[in-house]
Amino acid sequence: MNNKNPIIVANDLTIAYELHRERKKLVALQDISLEVAPGEFVVLVGPSGCGKTSFINAISGLVPKASGSVTVRGQEVTGPGPDRAMVFQDYALLPWRTVESNVRMPFEFQDLGISDDEKARRVKECLSLVDLTGFEKSFPYELSGGMKQRVGIARALITHPDILLADEPFAAIDAMTREAMQAEMERIVMETGQTCVFITHSIDEAILLGDRVVVISYRPGKVKEIVNVNFPRPRMSNSEVKTSKEYAQLRDHIWNLVKDEASQTNRGE
Amino acid sequence: MVATKNKSLQQFDTDDPDRIQDLGWTFKEVWRRTRGLVVTTLNLITFFILWEVFTIYGDINPLFLPKASDMFAELWVGLTTRAPEGAVFSGSILDHFLHSFNNLMFGLAIACLIGIPGGLLMGGNKYIEAILSPYVWALASLPRIALVPLFILFLGFTTTMQVTIIVISAVFPIMINAWAGVKTTEKSLLAAARVFGANRRQLYVKVVLPYTLPFIISGIQQGIGRGLIGVVIAELFGGSNGLGFLIQRSADTFNTAMTFAVLLLLIVMSLSLINFTRWLEAYVAPWRNVNHL
Ligand SMILES: Nc1ncnc2c1ncn2[C@@H]1O[C@H](COP(=O)(O)OP(=O)(O)OP(=O)(O)O)[C@@H](O)[C@H]1O
Ligand SMILES: [Mg+2]
Repeated sequence: MNNKNPIIVANDLTIAYELHRERKKLVALQDISLEVAPGEFVVLVGPSGCGKTSFINAISGLVPKASGSVTVRGQEVTGPGPDRAMVFQDYALLPWRTVESNVRMPFEFQDLGISDDEKARRVKECLSLVDLTGFEKSFPYELSGGMKQRVGIARALITHPDILLADEPFAAIDAMTREAMQAEMERIVMETGQTCVFITHSIDEAILLGDRVVVISYRPGKVKEIVNVNFPRPRMSNSEVKTSKEYAQLRDHIWNLVKDEASQTNRGE
Repeated sequence: MVATKNKSLQQFDTDDPDRIQDLGWTFKEVWRRTRGLVVTTLNLITFFILWEVFTIYGDINPLFLPKASDMFAELWVGLTTRAPEGAVFSGSILDHFLHSFNNLMFGLAIACLIGIPGGLLMGGNKYIEAILSPYVWALASLPRIALVPLFILFLGFTTTMQVTIIVISAVFPIMINAWAGVKTTEKSLLAAARVFGANRRQLYVKVVLPYTLPFIISGIQQGIGRGLIGVVIAELFGGSNGLGFLIQRSADTFNTAMTFAVLLLLIVMSLSLINFTRWLEAYVAPWRNVNHL
């Protein structure tokens, strides 16, 4: 691993959506520049509608950029690639497939040179990781929102991707399971050296998981501030982290940054 | 409760008693599931009995309204006999029913063969869509009955003419539904498949097609309704075969019981086919309406 060369580089990235009815463009993100080192855990926070999803969609290659650039390992992103997996905010599970078949989906589309036994083993492993063992044969419409979200997480982890793009992956999950999943997430990232770009609305989650927390401003979305988090890992199992003075200060600081922005969303335009 | 919560990330056993319970069959549950059928049956029996009583005691001219029992007798005889060899016209309902039913199935099959690929292509390729859509909308909005004289002119009073009218009637709902299915495929599902590496062909085969399947089935359902209208119209206008012809002929010969028998058969046929496609739709796409199953 070479920590000097960032794996993801966004350079003056601007993303705009055309509003068809009005013949106007909505600038969702403006001049975002960010470098993510290999193995780094970057968390994006910001008010709803500020462009977080748009940003990771640009990294995954789902959304075209209006200007600027995004590169992954020096290559300009023009479309999705097998090195980047994603957990979707709206789950995006195929409704006609069982849980197991949804989780297995990436194997159908990517030839990773993995044996069938290994594939079956990974499906089992990932489902047990998200506590869905026993629901292999269920269909998404038979699951709760949080369970669907966990299927989405299992699907993203199954290929052991270099880069994990996670869009509020724990938003619909109850507090207990969420804490356990955060710990799993931290363990996976520590063990595999996976790079992760993670979106959340929970400031605690951002501080506990992130090496850096990027606060994005509202309309147009810009990088408002990047906050470094230097607690040693593992943090989830270390009760001293949450009770420390630095933690409280960081929390306050990020809270105020987000609050400023969030209040803008209510101001009307 | 607390104990279950603590299991959090531990694995549940597949046969964990908390997870899936065997409810068993109680009388109440059986009744809940069958009462619709029972009520409908009783309802219909009452209806036909009232009809019978009304025609017996009501001094009704059987030319206008035959007794229900006469209608059922006509239906039974008509369905259990066939025309003798070499007869010019068959008086057997079964013969005519088979003719109409075969034509309908044949016409629907052709309509599917044209409509499904046509709709998929229009949904998948914007050039094909731009070129074809004005014609599709034009023909779909034209009352199909207006075309019947033209087809008789082209094809004469033949089975080909009858099938052509069925195809023309049924093809557009199927095509338009398939087209709409492709067009409305959820963006997030396509995005997910793309992120996990699907190429264009895989997107169509693994996402767009399964998503469109229930749309196609409901297109076929509408096609059956339209196709049946096509069957009867084609046979009423011309030909010496089929249920439409039989309606016409029995009315001309003042055999009203036969006319009613054929109408009843048409209703039963139509409802059976439509309910079958409903069931099929619910079966292949239970996520669209769980209550159906
Ligand atoms: N497909 C689209 N077409 C038009 N506008 C869009 C589209 N997707 C997003 N937008 C707009 O872009 C802006 C940013 O959206 P985005 O989904 O990136 O926000 P977000 O930060 O992820 O919000 P949330 O926290 O609510 O998920 C929003 O104002 C939204 O209106
Ligand atoms: Mg979002």
